[in-house]
Formats: sequence, structure tokens, C-alpha cells
Amino acid sequence: MSNRSLPGLVSRDGETRVRVTKGLELTKRQSMLALVGLLVVFAIPDIATVTPSLQLTVVHQGLLFGLAAVGLNLLLRHTRLVSFGHAAFFGTGAYTAAVLAAKFDVASFSLLLIAAMVVATLVAAIVGYLSLRHTGLYFSLLTLAFGQLLYALVQGQSFFGSSDGLPVRPGAARQPLIFGLALDSEAYAVILYYLTVIILVVSLVVMWRLVNSPFGNALDAIGQDRTRAQFIGIPVQRYVWIAFVISGVYGGVAGALYAMVQQHVRPGPVLYFLRSGDILFMAILGGFQTLLGPLVGGVLLVFLQDVGRDVTAYFDALTGVALLIIVFGLPRGLVGSLRAGGLLAAATRDFRENPAVVGEWISAAVTGIVEATRNWLRDVQSILGVR
Amino acid sequence: MTGLETFVTHTLHGIQYGFVLFLIASGLTIVLGILDVLNLAHGELFALGAYVGFTIIGYLTGLVAPPTTLSTQLVFLGVVLLGAALTAAILVPVGVFLETTFFKPIYGRDEVYQIVLTFALLLIIKDVNKLIWGPSPLRLQDAYGGINSIPVLSRVGLTYPTYNVVIIVIGLVTVAGLFWFFNRTKTGRIIRATAINREMATAIGVNTGRTFTLVFALGAFFAGFAGALALPPRFASLDMGANPLVLSFVVIVIGGLGSLRGAFVAALLVGVLSRWAIWQYPPAELAAPFAIMAIVLLVRPEGLFGTWGEMG
Amino acid sequence: MLKAIGGTALAASLAGCTALLGDDESSQSEGAVDVPDEPVQAGLQTFTEGAAAVLGLQTQYGAELAVQRINDAGGVAGREIQLDVVHEADAHVENYKQFVDEGKDVTFGPTSSGGHAALAPEVENQGVVNVGTDGTVTTLYEETVPDPTYSFRFQNHDVMECVAAARAAVDRLGADNIDTVAGINPNYAFGKDEFSVFKSAIQKLTGAEVVYEGYPDLLAEDMSTHITEVNDKQPDVTFSSNWGGDVTTLLNQAAANNMFENTQLVGSVLYSAVNDLSKDVVEQANAVSGSRNFYWGEPTPSRWEPGKQVLQDARDQWDIVPSAHFMSGYGAVAAWATAVEKTVNLVGGWPSQEQIATALEGHGFYTPAGYHVMGQGHQGLSNAYYGDMVWDDDLGAPALENISMHSPPELAPPPGTTASEWISSW
Repeated sequence: MSNRSLPGLVSRDGETRVRVTKGLELTKRQSMLALVGLLVVFAIPDIATVTPSLQLTVVHQGLLFGLAAVGLNLLLRHTRLVSFGHAAFFGTGAYTAAVLAAKFDVASFSLLLIAAMVVATLVAAIVGYLSLRHTGLYFSLLTLAFGQLLYALVQGQSFFGSSDGLPVRPGAARQPLIFGLALDSEAYAVILYYLTVIILVVSLVVMWRLVNSPFGNALDAIGQDRTRAQFIGIPVQRYVWIAFVISGVYGGVAGALYAMVQQHVRPGPVLYFLRSGDILFMAILGGFQTLLGPLVGGVLLVFLQDVGRDVTAYFDALTGVALLIIVFGLPRGLVGSLRAGGLLAAATRDFRENPAVVGEWISAAVTGIVEATRNWLRDVQSILGVR
Repeated sequence: MTGLETFVTHTLHGIQYGFVLFLIASGLTIVLGILDVLNLAHGELFALGAYVGFTIIGYLTGLVAPPTTLSTQLVFLGVVLLGAALTAAILVPVGVFLETTFFKPIYGRDEVYQIVLTFALLLIIKDVNKLIWGPSPLRLQDAYGGINSIPVLSRVGLTYPTYNVVIIVIGLVTVAGLFWFFNRTKTGRIIRATAINREMATAIGVNTGRTFTLVFALGAFFAGFAGALALPPRFASLDMGANPLVLSFVVIVIGGLGSLRGAFVAALLVGVLSRWAIWQYPPAELAAPFAIMAIVLLVRPEGLFGTWGEMG
Repeated sequence: MLKAIGGTALAASLAGCTALLGDDESSQSEGAVDVPDEPVQAGLQTFTEGAAAVLGLQTQYGAELAVQRINDAGGVAGREIQLDVVHEADAHVENYKQFVDEGKDVTFGPTSSGGHAALAPEVENQGVVNVGTDGTVTTLYEETVPDPTYSFRFQNHDVMECVAAARAAVDRLGADNIDTVAGINPNYAFGKDEFSVFKSAIQKLTGAEVVYEGYPDLLAEDMSTHITEVNDKQPDVTFSSNWGGDVTTLLNQAAANNMFENTQLVGSVLYSAVNDLSKDVVEQANAVSGSRNFYWGEPTPSRWEPGKQVLQDARDQWDIVPSAHFMSGYGAVAAWATAVEKTVNLVGGWPSQEQIATALEGHGFYTPAGYHVMGQGHQGLSNAYYGDMVWDDDLGAPALENISMHSPPELAPPPGTTASEWISSW
């Protein structure tokens, strides 16, 4: 049995693996997790109908920003370039769909999506060409500046609806038509959600293929050492530029879907520089060394912000604290830390073996705070010259 | 108004705006140039300065006579400036706290964590401001009008607020002071040496840890000073940090990352050109600074000046 | 009196007429109808923080005062109201859906125009009545939701506000004395819309020429370039739709640059900064300000006590002088509550969302601001007030004097006509 390869099953190193596509094989545990994950994602619309605290649109938005973060992560994880302007592509996608729907009455879901991809490709190609002349912080700042320039342009033009934005309600049905079907608003939301999930899965598989291709390896080499990559014959500029464009297209697709979900696009929520920050932090929150991390981070951050607003007036600080925990406690992000050997996994194991370990954690935290206060007082004294 | 008068007034507006931008961007560029950290929370430190300034300047001006005669006007001016200086001083321990608690442990790490950290601080400081001063905007009564009642340029027949003149003068003093500090004092030279080469500085006995704390505190000092000085003509609100942060980015990108001289030239350039642009073509308001930046970068991709180490 | 305001104790208390009612003069007909016991759940979204909180908190307090008064008067057909307030942020649709998921019976808000345009279609989808407080973009019921069922708006829209501004300017200065106009308006859709309506209205009324239009960003720290241009062009009238903190910035910096010696400032919502202005600036400015559909001192307290009572309550409870945005919150709640109470008696039970929506169409009701009609087009129609902004020492804040009142027929295009068609037909 184990020697005979079933369709979709392969045997490797004495282990049965599930073959998803060429080269992408999952262990039993991984396939179980993937299956459960997919089931949960598919069940969200049903779960949302019974619990008022979970909104389909919130999860949907989270997945879309997560998709943009997956795109951004191609740059972040492999070329080590920190883009602080990815809202530009998300916004480009969203506004392409919105302009076509509002000004030209284009109602077809696929047309809106394809157009958004095309325009996002163009914009990413231009922004990438101009900002990739630099690396490091300069690159981050340039992407941010181009993002803000785009925001200023949209905000300033009445063609784009200025700050009021544009509705995405084309045609007689006043909503984009999915495969030509006019649906009632609830069915529309659910079907659009499932379409998003399908697009998401495809995008993830494509991304996986990409990063595990020779092209992906070349990007890794560039990320590690540009000069060396240049020496071994990698066309650094061209490869990084291509990666930038691909990463922008992911943002554009996500943005177009967002426009169709929200059915109204405004510059603040899709183009403002804080949005770019959000997309970046989603990747890091979930774990930018993983493929799925940014997606998880996206759902989590959007959910945190939404729930936070209901729970406390200080929901911004709540997000801030979550980010601090990531930076200091879980530098590999949530998904990264859940893996065997990660901090979160280790902590769970410790706790399971001996629940009293919580006491140790608390005392460690207290010691840390006392220590920090003492350091702070000492430094203030020395800076102010008081002895 | 004659054409010349209009031109002069617009240019003065630009210069004044440029100095405000410089005051905000100086702290950011010092921290960036030496610590290699892009502090996204700088705008919130600026807002914190405005809020602290609201409390302190408001309290101090309540203690002195209303500015009616020249002597009371001068006392009033002195008190407002004292309040701004005190505000900046209060931001120093805040900066030290942030640096020792949060930044020190992660200097060696990937820069992406530094960006996340500063963004987390941005969110938290904003809510701390909300907790202390409440969600509504606050306006400092009387300070702006009080200082404007001192006749300065009206003596030469020009309509121009005295408060703006004060900002320009303070900006000039600050620029001169900063250059003196970094070029002529021992501490300043040590800081520059650290910026150019950390290992070398450590080797010759510089306590880089202490230097870093000092530099961050300096950044917070200027953020607070800028915030307190920006308050009188406007108001303090929770969302006031975002715009100055983005404009500071524009300024330091044009000037060359981490270059103080660059930041100064760029701030004045953006200040004057953007005011001229709005004067000639009002719809340019939002896009003007970014357009200026795009043009400068097309001509000189590395910004106007080199980085910190090369500044003279 | 009871008869005039709609017949019930609730309507009387919302109109601010409780003082005129005897203690046991309740004309409730609760016994006859079947109404659930549990409280009505209501949600309001508005700006509870940031620069726009100057408007949003007023709206929140206004809604809270209305709810207090309703509950003190025994609730809506005997049901108490519980009001949940959330920050509208940029999440108008999410907030509303959250309200719906939580089972809210009615929703109010938002303050933002862009947010309202995003929200209104969703209200139509979900079918839980939303009575908008502000979010006054005129095209809401012309283009965004041309045939609304569940979405209503209490406050007058932009066109009404700006036509009133033009008429107020002409009333005060005389058409012959207005040859040139300028505008300093916030750099977003609202500011641009407001000036474009004001511009076309004043041009129709006086033939004036527009000599300058500037758009300082929201929260701009520096408006002096625009002020210098006004000083240079010396227009007879300068129109501004700045609100909240941007009003204080504009007025302070304009005073510092002697702008008020060169022009007459007319603003649509200058009075929204009532709690933040200082005496010297108000006196120098001598501006004409609109106050949307409510000014606490009008009709004059000698004829209409309720406005004064609102001022008193707002000062006692929140230490503020109420602005028009206070009434936006108050009136939205009042519109819904009075309409529901009317319907309860008609249908003999708690009405459905559809029945409430039907009842709200063409519904007339009183608030301390006077009489309002929720028009057939779902747009609230109220008188608009303009006055000279002067310093009031007793109040410790600016007040409005020489109030001019403009009635809806003077301000709003007739049904089926767009604003621009209507103005160009004058």
C-alpha cells in the first residue's frame, strides 16, 4: 500500500505526503491543518449568522488585506525590502473597480477584477521603477511618498469623488454581476466571499510556486547580499522590479475585491499611509517568514481593530500592545511562533507540563519592569547631568 | 497691497512654515542619522508636546498680567517661550524612557522590527494623550493673540503676525545652536563620530549606549519643542501627529537621509515653494510637498545632501 | 399645546414643552396596544474623538438629552430607550452592520458626508431604519440612493445651508454692495461642494465675481497664504465652510493678519466652534455665521422657551454651549421616537421597520429648534438660521445676533429638481 502511489498521494522519506501541485507536498499534519483551516474559512458565513460578534465583512476584509500582505511579503521576506506604500496598489485596485463601475457602468465582476490587475501592474511598474533605485529606509520612504502622492491626487480630484469616494453599484442591479447573475445582497456577499477564498487559495499556491522557483531563490540571494547576487550573474534590478510588480498586483486584486465587498471606496480607508502601515504590520504580526503568516495577520489585525472599537475607547493602544508583544515576545510572528521550536509553542508546552510556570512568567515580568524603571531613572539622571 | 508687499508676505509665510517644518523634522533626522531608526512615533511626540504645552503654557500665562503695555507684552512673550522650553524639557525623560525600555533591546535586529515598534508606540502614545487630555481638541486661549499684539513688522507698514516673526527667530537660533552643538562641542562630536562608525567610537572609549539614549532624548526634545510652538495659532487634537510626520518624511528625503543641513535647506525649500505654489495655484495644497519631492528626487536621487557623517 | 406638538407627553417633552404640561396630563393610550416590555436598543455612530469630535460630541450629547427626556416622559409607547454610541472612524458600514447584528431597533448618525454616502445603500439592504444626523452631502438622495426606504436624514443638506448663506449675505450687505467674493474652504468634498453652491447662488443673486478660492487642508496648521490672498483681493464677501477646530485656526490667523479689515466673512458653520473662540477674535471678526437648523436663542426665549432650556441642560450636564450639531443628534432621535409613537397608536402594536419608515415619510414634529418635516424624499426640512457672531459676556462664548431665518422653500430645490438646475432657474 505504502509503495503504491495513490493519485494525489506520494511517499517520501517513508512518509505519506499529499501532493498539491508540482513540488508542493504537505505532510499529514500539514494537510490536516490546511483542511481544517479551509473548512473554518468556508464555514465563516454560517458562523457569522449565529454570532453577532463575528461579521462576515470583517473576516472578508481581513482576508483581503491579508492577501495584500501576502503580496508585500514577497518583497519583505525574500528581497528584504520594506515597502511602506502598499496601500497605493490596494487603492489602485479599489479605485480602478470603483471608477469603472461608477463612471462607465461596468458591472462584470471579472472585468472589474482584470482591469484592476492591469492598472495595478502599470502603477506598480512605475512606482517600482522610481523607488527601487534605492534600498533600505530610502526605499521605504519613497514608497510611502508615492503612496501619499496618489492619496493626494485622488483626494483632490472630483473625478474620483474626492473625500466622499465613489460607489461601486453599477447597472440596474446596483451591484457588480458575478457571472452575469443578479443576486440579492446577502447571497452576493456570501458568493463574493467564496470567490475571494478561491482566489486566495490560487494566489497562495501561485506564490508558493514562485518563491520555490529559481526566480524565488534568486530573490533570496538578492535579499542576503545584493553585491554577491550581482556577481553570480543575477539581474538584480530586473528581478527586484518584477517582484515589486507581482507584489503590487496582489494588492490590486485585493483592492478590487475590497471595492466590490464594500461597494463604496473612499481615499482614507484604502490609500492613506497608515493603511500601508497596516498591511506591513499584518505581515509581521502573522509572521513574515512564512507564506500564510501575512494572511493570518491580516484577519487578526482587522478583527482586533473591529472588536477593539466595541470593547474600549483605547483600541489603538490595544493594537499597539499586540504589536509590542510581537516585536519583543514573538519576533517570528504568530504563525512562525506556533511552529515547533517557536516561542509560543515552547510556552504552551511549558504550561502544559507545569501550570505553575505562570508564576515564573509573572515574576520575570515584574523584575523586568523594575529593572526598566531603574535603568530609566539612571539614564534620565545622567542625561540631565544630575548625579 | 502692492505686488511686492504680497510677494514678501507670501515668502515670509513660506519661511515661517519652513522653520516649523524644520523644528519638527530636525528631531526625526537626528534620530534617523545616528540611530538608524525611522521613528514613526515622532509625530505623536510632536502631539504630546502640543498637549503638554497646552497645560504648561496655559498655566504660566495665567500667572502673568494680560499683555497690554509693552513691558507686560514682553513678559508675556517670555512666559510663552519659557513654557515651550519647559515642555521640551519634559519630553526628555519621556524620550529616555522610550529609548531604554523599547529601543535598546532591538538595535541589532532587523529594521522591520524597529518600524513595527515605532508604529506600536505611535498608537499607544496617541491613546495616552487621549487618556490624559480627553478626546476633544484643545485650544490655547490668548497666547497667539497676546504675542501678536506686540507691534513688530507693523512698524514698517507690513501686515504680518508677530508670532510668526518669533517662530522665524527661534528657528534661526535653533539651527545655529544645533550646528554649534554638533561641530563645536565635545558631546556633539562624539555623537557624530558614533554616527560615522560605531565600532570605532566604541574602540576609542565612547559609551555608545549612553550616546544613543542622549540622541533619542534630543529627538524627543525637539518634537516637544515644535509641538508647543506650533500650538498657539492652532489647536491640539489627537490626530494632529500624522500630517507633520509625513511632511517630515518629505523634508528628510529631499534633504538626504539623516543630514541635518539637508533637512534645514529642504524644510525652507518645501516651506517657501509650497506657499508660493498654493498662492499661484490653490488646488496644489495637498500635493505640493510631494510634487516638490518627486521633482527633487528625479534630479538628485540621493537627496540634496549626503548623509550625517559627511555634514560639515 | 399638547395638540399642537402631536398629542403625547413624549412629543411634548421632546419639543421641550414639559413645563407647560400638568403632571398627570398624559394622553398615552398604552393600555390599548400590545408593546413589548424590554427597552428599545438604539445605536448612534459619530465622531467621539479627533478633530471632528468638536461636532461629534455635540451630536452625542444632543442624542443623549433626547433619550433622557424620552425616558423621563415614560419612554416610546412605554419602552425605554438605551443608546449605544460608537466612534464612526472610517467604518460606517461596519458600525451599522454591527448595530444590526446586535439587534438594534434603530440607528442614528453619521456625521461624515463620505461616510453617509457609503452607509445609505447598506441601510437600504439591511432594512433597519437609520436617521442620519448630519452627513449633509446633497447628492445622497439625488444620486446615491435615489429612492430610499429606510435611510433618512434630519439635518438640512449642503445646498440649503449654502443658499441660506448667500441669502443671508445679500440681506445684510445688499446685492449692490457685493461685487466680489472669495472662498476659504476645507480641502475635501464637503468644502468644495459648499463653495460651489454658494458661488452659483451668490452669482445668481448679485452677479458678483469670484476673485479667489483657496482650500486649506483639514487640520491645516497654517492658513496664512489664503488669508494673504484675501487681503490682496479684498473681496466684499469671503465664504468659509470651515468647521470646528479649523474655524478657530482661520479666525485666529485671519485676525492676526488683519483680514477682517478687508472683507466680510460669512461662514456656514463657524458657530460650530462656539466653545473654542476667544473674545478678541470674535469681536475683530464680526462674522456672519450659519447655525444649520438650530440656534438656542431662536425663536427668542420670550416666545419660545425650549431653546433656552436646551442651553441650560447642555451647560449643566456637559458644560458646553450647544451648537447645531447638538440638535442633529437630538432631532434624529426625536424624529424617530415621535414617528414610532404615532404609529404604535395606529397599528395597535409595536411597528415593523417598514411601518416606521412609512410613518417617517412626511412626518412633522417639534424639537426645541421649532417645527420640522421629514420630507417625502427622506430629507429633513427645517428653517435655517444665520446671525452676526458677537461676544456674549454672560455666556462667556459667542452668540448670534440679528438672526435671519430662512424657510425650506427658499433654500431647497423642489422635489425632482437637482440643486444646480434649480439655482440656474432663478
